[in-house]
Amino acid sequence: MNEQLKTIVFAFVLCLVCSLLLTAAATGLKKRQVQNVLVDRHRNILMAVGLIGDNQHPAARSIEELYRAKIKELWVDSAGAIVPPDRRGPADLPLYVYYEGKSIEAYVVPIDTRGLWGQINGYLAIDKDGSTIRGFTVYHHSETPGLGGEIERSWFRKKFVGKKITDQQGRFVSIAIAKGSVEQVVPEAHRINYVDGISGATMTGRFLTSGFKDILRNYEPVAVRFRQALMKKKESREGGPDDRSVEEK
Amino acid sequence: MTGAWKKSETYRAIRAALYDSNPISKQILGICSSLAVTVKLSTAIVMSLALTFVVAFSNLVISSMRNQIPRNIRIIVEVAVIATLVIMADEFLKAFLYDVSKQLSVFVGLIITNCIVMGRAETFAMSNPPGKSFVDGLANGIGYGSILCAVAFFRELLGSGKLLGFQVIPDSFYAAGYQNMGLMLLAPGAFIMIGLFTWLENTLLGD
Repeated sequence: MNEQLKTIVFAFVLCLVCSLLLTAAATGLKKRQVQNVLVDRHRNILMAVGLIGDNQHPAARSIEELYRAKIKELWVDSAGAIVPPDRRGPADLPLYVYYEGKSIEAYVVPIDTRGLWGQINGYLAIDKDGSTIRGFTVYHHSETPGLGGEIERSWFRKKFVGKKITDQQGRFVSIAIAKGSVEQVVPEAHRINYVDGISGATMTGRFLTSGFKDILRNYEPVAVRFRQALMKKKESREGGPDDRSVEEK
Repeated sequence: MTGAWKKSETYRAIRAALYDSNPISKQILGICSSLAVTVKLSTAIVMSLALTFVVAFSNLVISSMRNQIPRNIRIIVEVAVIATLVIMADEFLKAFLYDVSKQLSVFVGLIITNCIVMGRAETFAMSNPPGKSFVDGLANGIGYGSILCAVAFFRELLGSGKLLGFQVIPDSFYAAGYQNMGLMLLAPGAFIMIGLFTWLENTLLGD
């Protein structure tokens, strides 16, 4: 056989075999991988509300059990009203509500925003008062390891706990990452809305800050309802997490 | 029996890979990944296993095709084989060891560009029969893994007082004023550890 033809045939056959192997591996393992991603997200939601500690690594099954028992996935429209699943529109926002028994304890907002190098995905849990942050988790990011990548570490995420997304008058201001230490760069009255930045990760902090602002502004109607205890009232009248009538309003 | 075994080429290949020309401590290859994944012992072990799998099977496959591979595209062929194996290892980790694979992040993918794998394919597998190449790959993977795990062992122990995630330094030590060595959690800590291993092997054990 001609030398050039042989080269082309060899390359073709090799590529064919490699692609077949990869396709088999990717499709064969897909179901498990998707399941893993889902469990990881659920784990992060539970971590955000504080049901799973930072150093706890429960098995997938107990995560799912806890998630089913405590968290309810809802959709809300731009006015903050709950939308029934069959009437869900493209502009509606997902919301995760944490129930303890029949009363709402907190709600979780998905944080999907731009980072310096890629998408940052996480969850921000806010208490039932609609302004105090209960926890923050990151389950996916492409930031520089050791610098911006530190956003996923517990020492950074812990700083959000107890901070507020509203100012002292109760107006919405979002939560921001300071450039440096909050005590040094932020006036005392605003410290409740800032967390310490990560040195070497100013840009990541800036992207995260603007992401928080945009996302929390979208969720502001929901937060207002929580602040006015509207959600709580409705729940106490109409029952627990499995009561579908809650959504009909 | 042992004498014959010691003279066999397989033995010499293993000895070379583990000690005489260990990929990390003698050839100083694969440093990038060994800095990145050695903060914890568990990630280091998984990384070692992934690399051993890739280098052993890429050697096996390339060696069994070595007489058919056209000379002018041999590097492309090597990379295609290695990349296929790496992606398979990555998919496997994502399906069965999701937490570890998240921590390893890009470094599993970067096995493709790891000089150890390419180096063994090019220098050994292209000129040796499949069986020997497979053993050579296995030995090189273990040679890489042994240093990786040793570095990770000390980094996790000194840096966070744990081994495989379990607390090994008792609380009474911390109460008495013992502190974790923060340097070990950073990349320079790995540099220092690898440097110490290289020095140890070259100086104390003799060349």
